[in-house]
Amino acid sequence: MSEQQSHSHVKYSTIFFALCGCTVLSILFDFVDLREKNLLGLNGVVLLSLVVLSIACAKALFVMIYFMHLKFEGRWKYVLLSPTIILAMGLTIAMIPDIGIHYYTNESPQIDYLEQAQQAASESGSANNTEKSHVK
Amino acid sequence: MGLPIPHSKLGMWLFLATEIMFFSAFIGAYIVLRAGSPGWPTDANITHIHVWAGGLNTFVLILSSFFVVLALEGMKAQNFAKARRYLCLTLLLACVFLGIKTYEYYGKYSHDILPGHIPETPRMAIDKSMREMKQVVDSRTIALANFKLPAKPEPAKTEASVELAGVTDEKTKEITPPVEELRRKLQAELDAPDTSESRKKELFAFFALETKYRDLNNRALNESITLQEMNQELDTLQKNPDYGAFLAPVHHLQPIIYGNLFASVYFLLTGFHALHVVIGMILFVIVLLQGKRLCEKWSDYVENIGLYWHFVDLVWIFLFPLIYII
Repeated sequence: MSEQQSHSHVKYSTIFFALCGCTVLSILFDFVDLREKNLLGLNGVVLLSLVVLSIACAKALFVMIYFMHLKFEGRWKYVLLSPTIILAMGLTIAMIPDIGIHYYTNESPQIDYLEQAQQAASESGSANNTEKSHVK
Repeated sequence: MGLPIPHSKLGMWLFLATEIMFFSAFIGAYIVLRAGSPGWPTDANITHIHVWAGGLNTFVLILSSFFVVLALEGMKAQNFAKARRYLCLTLLLACVFLGIKTYEYYGKYSHDILPGHIPETPRMAIDKSMREMKQVVDSRTIALANFKLPAKPEPAKTEASVELAGVTDEKTKEITPPVEELRRKLQAELDAPDTSESRKKELFAFFALETKYRDLNNRALNESITLQEMNQELDTLQKNPDYGAFLAPVHHLQPIIYGNLFASVYFLLTGFHALHVVIGMILFVIVLLQGKRLCEKWSDYVENIGLYWHFVDLVWIFLFPLIYII
């Protein structure tokens, strides 16, 4: 019993350190700031999102499998969690055409201002003027 | 037949399944809104979102999750003192999490990054500064005239002059009573020969501020002042030794495109998460109140609140990159 206990104790602390490592990795990616770069043919923000969300998924899996003991549970976990996760993702995907893609003409004062600010920044040759625009 | 787990645990898992749907609706809406809004604010100097605060909070929650696992281990090994110790530490870490969150919320509040308060264009920023300055001038008028406010300070009247700036100039040109009446009283007091010197100095400073406000408001109405000029004017006024201190509530002008949407989503997501943290703390307090009476009967309870707490951690694991990094 005590051997088994100490074994799991070590394992839990390993998971804890792995989670900390993943967090540090996420923060490092924030400092590297991929937003301005285009690597592997991907837009910087998309690449950054993919990287940090993959790290988040890895962390989530660590927590679910070990801390929430899903590794040691029966098959009921699939019955309960699969529909939930599929529906949760479906909900998000279902919203994309309406708001994310804008198949309709999108008119808003923010977009007008954004265009004006970008134009002003390109004319003055300096995008650092935070008073004019905060857009990177 | 039936599942090889206690009913309470099945109940908790079913509850967590509904919670997954609850948070994924908000997180999904955030992702979609973010993707569909070009120019979404990301600069930390503007949004006042600090990655160190989010990172620290992530660490705090991960550590608390680890402690919950150790507490459950203590319960299963019938080492209740160990279980209590780790549950106590978890509760403490939850307090630390909320403390850091409060610090962050305070930063948003002091910079007025609140839903519905953020100007998104330079014009809106100038209008907002005039509205804030008018409030300063009005409250100063009331304070100087030693006038007691009615229970409800008639918001429609006080906002009328600047809220509609640039839209209905006729209305905005005059300040509606009773503030105007009080102002006239103050003017008469300033002109009166028997007013003391210190009072005259106070009134003089007030009228200097008021004149400046009227001048700036007129320029704002005529659209003959730019954002930079207005910011410079406000900076100069705030440095004035006579009345600069009164202008503290007037914010530095910073239009943020999609700032209101950003603030709504930020407070909605982190607010609901913080609510879950508070509920988790109550659940921990319930078990800790048992003190030395804690026994194996509570094993399932600790396992279930542990599951809940891991879920709260899980939500934060996704919120951290989505809000603080991307």
